[in-house]
Amino acid sequence: MTDVTANRERGEPVALSALFIACLKISLYGIGGGGGLVWARRIAVEQQRWIGEQDFADIVSLCQFMPGPNIVGIATCIGTRLRGVAGAVASVAGFLLIPWVIGFAFGVLCLQYAALPVVRHMLSGIACAAAGLLIATGLRMMQPYRTRPAAIFFAGAGFVLMVFAKVPLPIVLLGVAPISIAWAGIQRASLR
Amino acid sequence: MNASSDALSLTARLALLSSISFGGFPTVLPDVRDFVVANHGWLTDQEFSNLFALAQAIPGPNMILMMSFVGWQVWGLPGAIASAFATFGPPCTMYFASYCLWDRFREAHWQPAVRAGLVPVTIGLVVASGVVMAGASFTGWAALSVTLVSAALLLGTRINPLWMLLGGGALGATGLL
Repeated sequence: MTDVTANRERGEPVALSALFIACLKISLYGIGGGGGLVWARRIAVEQQRWIGEQDFADIVSLCQFMPGPNIVGIATCIGTRLRGVAGAVASVAGFLLIPWVIGFAFGVLCLQYAALPVVRHMLSGIACAAAGLLIATGLRMMQPYRTRPAAIFFAGAGFVLMVFAKVPLPIVLLGVAPISIAWAGIQRASLR
Repeated sequence: MNASSDALSLTARLALLSSISFGGFPTVLPDVRDFVVANHGWLTDQEFSNLFALAQAIPGPNMILMMSFVGWQVWGLPGAIASAFATFGPPCTMYFASYCLWDRFREAHWQPAVRAGLVPVTIGLVVASGVVMAGASFTGWAALSVTLVSAALLLGTRINPLWMLLGGGALGATGLL
């Protein structure tokens, strides 16, 4: 706990073991695809207060633009923000190591048997709840932006293109984000 | 030794695909299928889709697990571990590098504009993926109300979200959904 460089005037540096455990929790709780985002925000922003609302939104945005599993990217960035390379390694290890071993052992076992109907039904019930949590997390992230009509408009545009027009994600990002950024730039310039 | 060279070419392929999997690994799944099923015949189509369903059902890093199962079929445990690393290693390095860049330009005058423009779009996409997931698991009004109630509980209360997931699982197990 004497690492001053990682401190960055935010009080005590976060212990690597704490990062490992937090990311392990995010990973284990995040059942299904997007579920991890719900827990990443709850644990890193609300409970531990390691990063602010704005930093979290930055990280999620950045990860959308990168290839690979976004939620692992969020863990990587949170770790990097708090403790640099060591933090990134601790976060990714926490996120993947134990869940991978459990999931892999379980999966190899399952490959021997056909899925039971009751298990399938249970999983689909969990999926319904998980979808609701993801929607609510998005709405919570929107809170700081609720007074900006342009922000609401561009959030809505991304939403509509994805859900109703079924446009692939990379195209939505490349199409809407530059316009949204340009608009924000113009607005800021005219305020100055 | 044939299996190990198979595993090597699978690992190389996965490392390449994970580096270009913009929008998440599922976007390159069709390419993985072509490589594994059509080009090399390591798995049948049926086996490949079984692995997909299995990976979706298991909590944890789904796509990394799925590629591990593929590696497992090709070259046992070493194949599984190599495939896992190939799936998350290259993207993690890129995440790290890009975050360091973002952090370095924290004071730059263009950053607030990029943030103000980019973040709302991201949020729209987060809500969209929740709605898409809800659509995928929609089986009727009961399923929809589980989704809506868990969203409302997360927004309006401080209840631990694990309870919503447990509740959904319990309702599903009773066959109500």
